[in-house]
This record gives sequence, structure tokens and C-alpha cells, in this order.
Amino acid sequence: MEDRIVRFISALRAAGVRVSLAESQDAWRAIEQLGVRDRDTFRLSLRSTLIKDAESFPTFEELFERYFGAFAPPLLDPQSGLSPEQQQQLQEALQELLRELARDLQQLLQWLLNGQQPSQEDLETLAQQAGLDQLSPQSPGQAQRAARRLLALLDWAQLQELLEQLWEMLAEAGMDPQAIEQLRQQVAENQARLQQQLADFAGQRLEDRRLEAAQRRSPRQDLLERSFSSLSPAEMEQLREQVRRLAARLRTRAALRQKRGKQGKLDPKATLRANLRYSGVPFEMRFRQRRLKPKLVVLLDVSTSMRPVAEFFLRLLYEVQDQVQKTRSFAYIDHLEDVTPDLVAHPIDQAVTVVLTKLPPGYYNTDLGACLRQFEARYLDTVDHRTTLIVLGDGRNNYNDPALDTFSRLSRRARRLIWLNPEYPAQWGTGDSDMLAYAPHCNELYQVRNLAQLAAAVDRILL
Amino acid sequence: MFATVEEVRQALAGQQYIANDEIATVVFLAEKLGKPILAEGPAGVGKTELSKAWAAASGRELVRLQCYEGLDESKALYEWEYAKQMLYTQLLRDKLADLLADAGSLTEAADRLAREEDVFFSDRFLLPRPLLRAIQNDHPTALLIDEIDRADAEFEAFLLEVLSDFQVSIPEIGTIVAHQHPAVFLTSNNTRELSEALKRRCLYLYIDYPDTAQELQIVRLKVPELAPRLAQQAVEVVQSLRRLDLKKNPSVSETLDWARALVALNAQSLDPEVLDNTLTVLLKYEADVERARRMLRRGEGGGNGRPYR
Repeated sequence: MEDRIVRFISALRAAGVRVSLAESQDAWRAIEQLGVRDRDTFRLSLRSTLIKDAESFPTFEELFERYFGAFAPPLLDPQSGLSPEQQQQLQEALQELLRELARDLQQLLQWLLNGQQPSQEDLETLAQQAGLDQLSPQSPGQAQRAARRLLALLDWAQLQELLEQLWEMLAEAGMDPQAIEQLRQQVAENQARLQQQLADFAGQRLEDRRLEAAQRRSPRQDLLERSFSSLSPAEMEQLREQVRRLAARLRTRAALRQKRGKQGKLDPKATLRANLRYSGVPFEMRFRQRRLKPKLVVLLDVSTSMRPVAEFFLRLLYEVQDQVQKTRSFAYIDHLEDVTPDLVAHPIDQAVTVVLTKLPPGYYNTDLGACLRQFEARYLDTVDHRTTLIVLGDGRNNYNDPALDTFSRLSRRARRLIWLNPEYPAQWGTGDSDMLAYAPHCNELYQVRNLAQLAAAVDRILL
Repeated sequence: MFATVEEVRQALAGQQYIANDEIATVVFLAEKLGKPILAEGPAGVGKTELSKAWAAASGRELVRLQCYEGLDESKALYEWEYAKQMLYTQLLRDKLADLLADAGSLTEAADRLAREEDVFFSDRFLLPRPLLRAIQNDHPTALLIDEIDRADAEFEAFLLEVLSDFQVSIPEIGTIVAHQHPAVFLTSNNTRELSEALKRRCLYLYIDYPDTAQELQIVRLKVPELAPRLAQQAVEVVQSLRRLDLKKNPSVSETLDWARALVALNAQSLDPEVLDNTLTVLLKYEADVERARRMLRRGEGGGNGRPYR
């Protein structure tokens, strides 16, 4: 049992759950208190000491089932209750039935009717045929999928039909109906047990692979560190959920900075007022608030290649709105659109869709130069000496005029100009990229390939 | 104190708190291992209520520290009472003058004054805040640190220090060591990732919305005046509302408020009029109320396709 618990804990770690030494020690102490007799209490004592995150509960439950689940009992021998004559009948019927069947089904029937355990070798062969090793062992629920694959391989669906056929053949051969009924019940029980055995096997196998993989691959590649363009839709969804928590962290940091930033110049008037109650003895110092929350103007490239980045940037920005005085957002591809009202009017999930559908992507039609001129002509009043101007784009202009003069004017007018580019610096300036031409006019320039980089950049923006 | 998990459950039930297996087990373990409990879960599922019930059931005095952004040591631990110190110096001015009158030199006067310094930095002028109160208390104490996720990460680190050895050092006085180890209960609404170090020290308890049977039990216990049939219907409506993906799900405390409102209005059944009038007790966003109305009008309420008439 002890060994099993230790293995369970290392399996948890392999699945990406952080379990410290102190926590596993707590688990042992908890088990000391409550024992392992009651399975549910045992599960709860392990869970409350080892798992400190509701998100890890599914992983825990799946592994717990795997390690401390009720293991499938061995198969019954349905023929034990039959007379030799009846056994003879059964074998004959089987022979006839099996003649025209595929090998897997033959094997399956043999197991069920003779109560013969599938050997380790059989299972290995099955696992290979089912391609269990191709399944990614990471996501929870994968074990059930693997078990289903095994069953499908064995033609489980067809089995019921065949069994019915067998019972009919036996009845025709003149077998005692009671014996048939008994046989039928035992085979049904065997079916359930075999199914359970296969599920256990599949689970165990996935687990072994996961442990192996965890030992091979370290450190774990985090979703945050993955480039936006390499994410699957499911991973994007996962990442979206992380944005809020990430933003909360950014917000705390920004708020802390704001608070500390207040310790600026002494404010004599406020200090005098505050200390009147101490008869003018200055016990409490008052300081002038020096820091101002930034005013943002954002230019977003929402062409096809930029969409994931733009989406996550918008989400982050939306979440940290309370740390920002005012935000104006513009989206562009070949022309510029003011999307501020859309972002104000809708909750973020809808807002992103609305913005992205407003500007349908065309075929190589990004034109930042024209958009900059348009911006200068119409919205220049949004930029003043307190504004942080942010451009999110890859700087690829399809060989159009980059409008550098406008860009440098904007740069001089704004407090800061920050450019966020998802491309690698090595790619800047290659082909139709005007990034290197824009770069000298930017105060800060960040590469934002993944959410971690994006969050760091947003953190700088809030500075 | 408690010998079995079942005893914990009964003691909590004695405080009008219905605990499931998980809650009872974790509280039992916390008692036995002397570890803090970190309770997470949506707002209004009774996390704070649990800590109160726990304190009462185990005969502890409850000291509560409500966290918020910007909470710092002086608000959580102790503060010198400047105003009182000032007042005392003013009132004792004559006495001080007497004391210093025959001092030959300034140095001598300063030395004499320094000898009396302890008077002004003693327990008398120390304003204990919740953390210090919990530590100084002679009786068994339960310390509730509410919504720790709202406090800054910095405060969390400071808390860690206090929770690990239950002693506080005040430069002017010295180290104050706890006479008893308070039972600590932290709650979090999970708006921010807590630090690993803090989580490591705690037993983790996730409290989710109760299922229909449990919630009904809670309503029956807390609002016994509500007719059983109506209580059943009300709980079913709340449960179906939680499946709606609203901006803010109705919490258990809001279910109870609603139940009390139904009693106060002397409602006989959940007809559309009563629903219309009281839905705002459950839902706090206009958009949510609209959605809920539409759903209830369609008669999807109650989860069994039966309209409420």
C-alpha cells in the first residue's frame, strides 16, 4: 500500500500537479489519522493535503481511480456448472459459429465462454493494434477513450448479436433452457469484467507512458510559452481562461506600483491639515500623488496572421481597464476603424468577435501607412503628451508607403510609443516588413509571440 | 477534541451548518494536524459561515481579518495609538517638568526621559489588530482570514511568516509568542493565484454550490417557515438558474434571502407575479434578470420542464 501511495504521488507530479515534499508528508500524517479503510475518506484526506487547486481535481480523480480503484475481478468459468454432455454441445455450437468469424471475435468468445484470462501478450498485441501509444497521455479522459478503442477493435458491438445466435443454436441442439440461462448470465458478468480489465489495462498503460514522457521532457512546456500560431482551438480556449487570472496578477502589480508611486513629493498643505489633531506636530506625512494612470491609444492589426495576438491583447487590456485612465482602440487592415464603442458596449467574448468581423481580412491588403495617415487626419486629438500610443502589428506593409513622417510626428506627440510585434527580431526588415524603418521612432519595442511575452509587455505598458 | 469525522459533522450540524463528507473530513484533519484550512469556491457558498460554525462548534473565539487591496501590517497586526500617546504627553506635561526640573544638563534630562520611555511604548498604547489579537488571546481562538486573494502578494508573504510560527516581534516591546495556536481558516474567491508557499501550508477545501437535495436541506434548516413544497420549487428554480451561464450565479445566501422574502410576502406558490417581484433578490444584474425571466416564461424552470403556476 505504501509503495502504491508513493507511486501515486509521483504519478501526480508527472501529470503536472505540483506536490512538494511537505505536502506529501502531510498526506502521510492525514492517512495516519484517518486510515485507508474507508475509500472515500482516504481519497479526501489525500486530496485535501496534496491538491491545492480546483483545476487539478480531474487529474487527481482520474489517477486515484487508476491507483486505488477497485480492480477488475478475474473472469468466471461459465462452463463449470455444465455437465460434460452440455459442454460438448457448447463446444460444437462454438465450432460452427467460429468458423466464419474474424480472429478477434473468435478470441473474444473464447475468453468469455472459457473464462480464460487474456494473457499479457494478447493485451500488448491489442494495444498495438489499437494504436494506444499514439494517444497523447496528457489530457484527462484519455483512458476511457483508449478503452473504447480496445473494445472497438474486439468488435464489441457485434458480440451481442453473436451471443444471441449462440444461445439459439444451443437451444436448437436441445440444451436445457435453465443451463442456457445460467450460461448467459455468467457470460454477461464476464463481459462486464473483461470490459473493466481492458479499461484498467488501457489506463495503466497510458500512465506508464505519461511517467516516461515526464521523465524525458523537462521542463514542462507551458501553454503560456507556446507561440500563438501553434495553438490548437482547444488550447486557445484553455488559454482564454488563463487570461483572467494572468490579468489579475498584472493588476495587483500595477496597483502596488501605483501605491508606492504615491510616495512622491511632500504635500505641506495636506500634512498640516492631517496633523491638526496632534496640535500641529507632524506625525502623519502626506504626499502628493505623482503617478497618473496611463492613457492608452491602441492601433491593432487584425489581419489573418495577427488575429490570435490581437484577440489576446484585447482580452488582457479589457481585464486591466481599471488600471488605465482611458483607452481608445482602433483596428486596421487596409483602413482604420474606431472600435472603442464596440469594446465598451459588449462583454469581452462578444466584443472580440464584433471587432474581428467588422474588418474582414482580405488577401495581402494590409496598409499601415494609409491607416496612419487616416489616423493623423481624423483622430490626432486622441494623442497628447500623456498618451501611450501602442501599435500591435507585424510591420508588414505589402510594399505600400510606410508613412514614416506621420509615424515620427505621432511618436513625438505621444508620451511613449510602444510597438508589439509577434515576429522574431530576425524576421524584421525581411521581405515587405518595414519594422526596421519604424523601429527608431518607437520608445519601446517588444516581441509578443506567446501569452507570457504579451503579459510582460502589458505590464510595461501599465508602468 | 473530535474523535471521528462523524462527530465533526454533528458538531457543525449543531451550529446549523450542513457539512458534506469533504468538509467534515477536512475540518477533522485540520484539527488533528494543526494545519490551516484554505477554502476556495464561488462567492456565497458558505465559506465564511463554515469558519464561524467551526469556531463555535469547537468552542473557540472567532477573530476575523477581512482582507482588501492595500491591507498592510499596521491594519492587520498592530498600530501605536499616536493620538493617545500625544494626549498622555500633554496631560503629563507637569509631571514631566517635575521630573526634569533639577536636571543639571540637557544630556542628563534626555537620559532621565529615556529611562521613562517604556511608559510610552507599552501595551497601554498598543492597538492590537486582528492578527495580534488572535495571538495574544488566552482562550482558544479561531482566526478567520477572509478573502485572502484580495490582499496584495506582499501581505501574503507577511502572513506566511506569522502563520508559520505564531509569533510577532514588535521592536519597542519584544517578541510576543502565542499562548495557544489559533485554528486558522483562510477563504479565497479565486480571483488571483495564491502563492505556492501559502497553499503548501494549508489543507485545501473546495466548496462548490450544493446539489438540489443539500440546498433544500439548508433552506429547510435556515428558513423553516417556508412551506416544504414551495421550498422544493424555489431550490429547483435556483438550481436551474445556475445552469444558465449568468453573469453572477445566485449564491446559497441569496437562495436563503429569497426564501425569507417568499415567507415575508406570504407567497402560496411560485406564480409569475411573485417571481417577477422577487427575482431581483436572487439576481443582481439587469441582464441576468431578463434572461431568467425569459427562461422561466418558457417554462424550462425546475429542470423538469414543468412550468411554475
